[in-house]
Amino acid sequence: MKTPFHLNEKTILVTGATSGIGFQVVKSIVEMGAKVVISGRNERKLNNVKKQFGDAVIQLLAHDLTDEKEIESLASLSVNLNGVVHCAGIVNPYPIRYLNFKKLDETMRLNYYSAVVLIGQLDRKKKLEKGTSIVFISSISAQHPHKGGATYSSSKAALESFSKVVAMEYSHRRIRSNVVSPAMVKTPLYEKAAEDASHESMQAHVDKYPLGIGDPEDVANAIIYLLSDASRWVTGTKIVLDGGCLLGY
Amino acid sequence: MIDENEFVRLLENEFEDVEEGSLKPDSSYREIPNFSSMYALIIIAFIDNEFDVLLTGEDLRSTETIADLYAIIQKKLNK
Ligand SMILES: NC(=O)c1ccc[n+]([C@@H]2O[C@H](COP(=O)([O-])OP(=O)(O)OC[C@H]3O[C@@H](n4cnc5c(N)ncnc54)[C@H](OP(=O)(O)O)[C@@H]3O)[C@@H](O)[C@H]2O)c1
Repeated sequence: MKTPFHLNEKTILVTGATSGIGFQVVKSIVEMGAKVVISGRNERKLNNVKKQFGDAVIQLLAHDLTDEKEIESLASLSVNLNGVVHCAGIVNPYPIRYLNFKKLDETMRLNYYSAVVLIGQLDRKKKLEKGTSIVFISSISAQHPHKGGATYSSSKAALESFSKVVAMEYSHRRIRSNVVSPAMVKTPLYEKAAEDASHESMQAHVDKYPLGIGDPEDVANAIIYLLSDASRWVTGTKIVLDGGCLLGY
Repeated sequence: MIDENEFVRLLENEFEDVEEGSLKPDSSYREIPNFSSMYALIIIAFIDNEFDVLLTGEDLRSTETIADLYAIIQKKLNK
């Protein structure tokens, strides 16, 4: 049987490739046969990733995605793509009372604006091949927010809506756009959240996961499916990855 | 930078159930009525807002009293 569950002959851009979920996505999709373009802010960290995956990493793009001009130059420099996995994102818990435009911008720029401008620029610069698969990383907190999540939860909710608009606007080129929505996954971002929260509140949260909290690999596996031709009829949708933690809600 | 007592008053003002004058520099801020993880967020955001100093979870864990908070802000401002 000829399986569609592979990424041979696909070139895929991964943002946030230097850490956590993005790093694992690079590792997993290289194993599935893809060539990757990796993006992050830090050249040294990008070189480290390149060192680990060798020739499968065909391009390193060191750019700050909170800066419009930098996104534009990333899009100009990028080779043509069959897939985009936008993993760059931050969490910045803040009570509503102290939020102002500047503070909102810190999260919204990376978690939401960058997604819009990245896809727009890649399109204008004609880097998205026919049939490209785009994957955004949302979070279950888009629908199940937490205190202090006015920026993060809202940014992910916006991202989910945006993905559907992409799916509509680009369907005539069979470009697909989907979202994965993980619950808590063990990454440096999680470590930071764990450090900021009290030990007890973190443990109480972890206890709610029938299958335990996730590994980056659990997220990468779903992303492989969305990037592959096995999902060619899947667009504008979302895969929730939560180890069962929303079952009780 | 404002003095320690003024800092205590400002912080006091940020919480609903705290009467004016009830906190002292050596009060443990975790003993503020109804203290919760939300209050920890409020303290971090208030200090960021007011002094442009960002405390980490680790910073918070290493402090006990309001005077400790004040000291850590000063230390960070002087860096
Ligand atoms: N971990 C979780 O529990 C969890 C759950 C649900 C959703 N998510 C989402 O999954 C995504 C990845 O999270 P993670 O846990 O893997 O985070 P992470 O380990 O902190 O990695 C974040 C990545 O984003 C990049 N990045 C940060 N700021 C950037 C900027 N201004 N410009 C360009 N790149 C930037 C970082 O690269 P450099 O520092 O090298 O620039 C890093 O590669 C995020 O969108 C997050 O919201 C995570």
